Amino acid sequence: MSLYFVTILTNMTLISFIAISAYLILIVGEVSFGQQAFFGIGAYITATSTTLLGLDIVIALFFSFMVSASFALVLSVLTVRLSGLYFAVASLSFAELLRLSLYKIEYTVETSSGTIGPNGPEGFQNIRWIFENNISPENFLVIALSSLLAFIIFLIFMESSKLFKNARLVGKDQIVAQSIGIRPFFYRVGFITLAGGVAGFGGGLFALFNTYIEPSMFGIMLGVHGLAYSIIGGLGYPLGPLIGVFIDIGLLESVRFLSEYRMILFGGLVAAILIIFPEGIISPRLVSRIKRKLVKKTNA
Amino acid sequence: MEYIQISIDGILYGSSYSLIALGFSLVFGVMRRINLAYGSSLLLGVAIALWVENKLNTSIIFFIPIVLFFCSLSNLYVERFCFAPHNTKAGVVVSMISSFAIWMQLDEISSQLLPDRTHSFPSLEISTFEFGGLFFRGDQILNIFIAFIISAVLFMAVYKTKYGIVLRAVSNSADTAKLMGCNTNLVNSLTFILAGILGGIAAFLVLSTESQVTPLFGFWCTVKGLVAMMIGGLGSLTGAFWGGLLLGLLEAHFSYQFGPVFREITTFSILLIVLIIRPGGLMGVNIYKDLKSRDERI
Repeated sequence: MSLYFVTILTNMTLISFIAISAYLILIVGEVSFGQQAFFGIGAYITATSTTLLGLDIVIALFFSFMVSASFALVLSVLTVRLSGLYFAVASLSFAELLRLSLYKIEYTVETSSGTIGPNGPEGFQNIRWIFENNISPENFLVIALSSLLAFIIFLIFMESSKLFKNARLVGKDQIVAQSIGIRPFFYRVGFITLAGGVAGFGGGLFALFNTYIEPSMFGIMLGVHGLAYSIIGGLGYPLGPLIGVFIDIGLLESVRFLSEYRMILFGGLVAAILIIFPEGIISPRLVSRIKRKLVKKTNA
Repeated sequence: MEYIQISIDGILYGSSYSLIALGFSLVFGVMRRINLAYGSSLLLGVAIALWVENKLNTSIIFFIPIVLFFCSLSNLYVERFCFAPHNTKAGVVVSMISSFAIWMQLDEISSQLLPDRTHSFPSLEISTFEFGGLFFRGDQILNIFIAFIISAVLFMAVYKTKYGIVLRAVSNSADTAKLMGCNTNLVNSLTFILAGILGGIAAFLVLSTESQVTPLFGFWCTVKGLVAMMIGGLGSLTGAFWGGLLLGLLEAHFSYQFGPVFREITTFSILLIVLIIRPGGLMGVNIYKDLKSRDERI
């Protein structure tokens, strides 16, 4: 595998974490424009724990997950009365506030390998975990891909659980959910928190892979890409978000002559896909239709 | 005296926000939809107009209608592509995402049309004047005046004309309006064209006070217009006007006290606080008490 191909695949894997976190929030019926901030927070936490504190990568990523999840918890509790459009705009403003406050964090330490630590608008430089541990790009891809697969398998496994079915009902119709004794509050808070954690975990991997992060990387465009991926992919199945990632990065960015017009093409493509498939490519309806067919086959 | 000067600067700067928020408010008021591609459709209109002007070398009097024409054209494109196919109740969120995707597309086209970072924009060249030791920028005074006139004219148009009755009928219940014989499709398209003309005026005035245009203008327009509208009250025309001025005032004071990063931080903090405490906006309906907004779950 060429290095170019490995880099593309790793980027696809990392951005899939944002797509999955957007997907989790979409399940409970909300749209978040703010997942990029949790991604960014996760990146900063992992960078700090591996360089400044010298912690193990597993613990660092766990910290990223927990800290991002707790910020997401704050967001979900603050916006508990909001929904739809209002929640979308509130999540956007919360994310931008988090990102802008990263510009104000300055704590640098001089080491033999250069300056490390968050340095306001200059960003966080010299995250040397990959070099110190001699991780080749292929090995890093394996690490990232296997953790992504672990999340997806977990989600597929959970898909048939009562928890997820209730959450989908909350997303579909809160009043019906309430009338059969489901409390939307807990599902909303839980899923938004989990989504923040997943985004933070991906952000941690992103920091390790990129070796350099700065606040402007976690702007609104990143979050919207993640959201667009999961919307065009559809809400039927956890693999949906990956289809969106594949269409954008795998198809448009990696093909050289298209990449110059990538944004123009992708923007138009998303709008066109939404006209043809308003619920995304793998819509819940499609999934239930396939399931019914499978059941018929096994019965016959 | 210093504080008074800052307040004046802030309010005058806020007039740009008001101008843009009015277009947002018009679209939201009629369609109950948020057009996130509004800012970049204005940027695209301006970019095409500048490109045309470079070819033709016209005077500023011809330049204004060119800007208005292309702004309304790009708005119509957004409406046909993102909003017309999703006119059902389930389409609220889908059309928002769709308009977001088109935002990226239009921004990219504009930056291809304007390859440099900044481009000069024809300025109206109205001088600054002094009054009682305070300085006023003439072009910003013109902005605030025009923003006030536009909101008044829109208010009259929505509440006193026949077109306004149709608009309000569609806004109230699109299905009922359709049954009564209104062509809702046409009304929606006309609203977007009107918002495009409005936005064209706004973009022209804002850019001529800055006397330059950058590819970031689309993003700036969308964020500031959205915040100003949300502060003032969703879909309320007077709310959009006052929300813009209030945002400008607060931003000026906070950025003076704490530094330029706080201009943005103020914008988003105010938005978050308003959304948490009174999501309908300061002058809008209380969405917790208003049954209609509660049912719509927008």
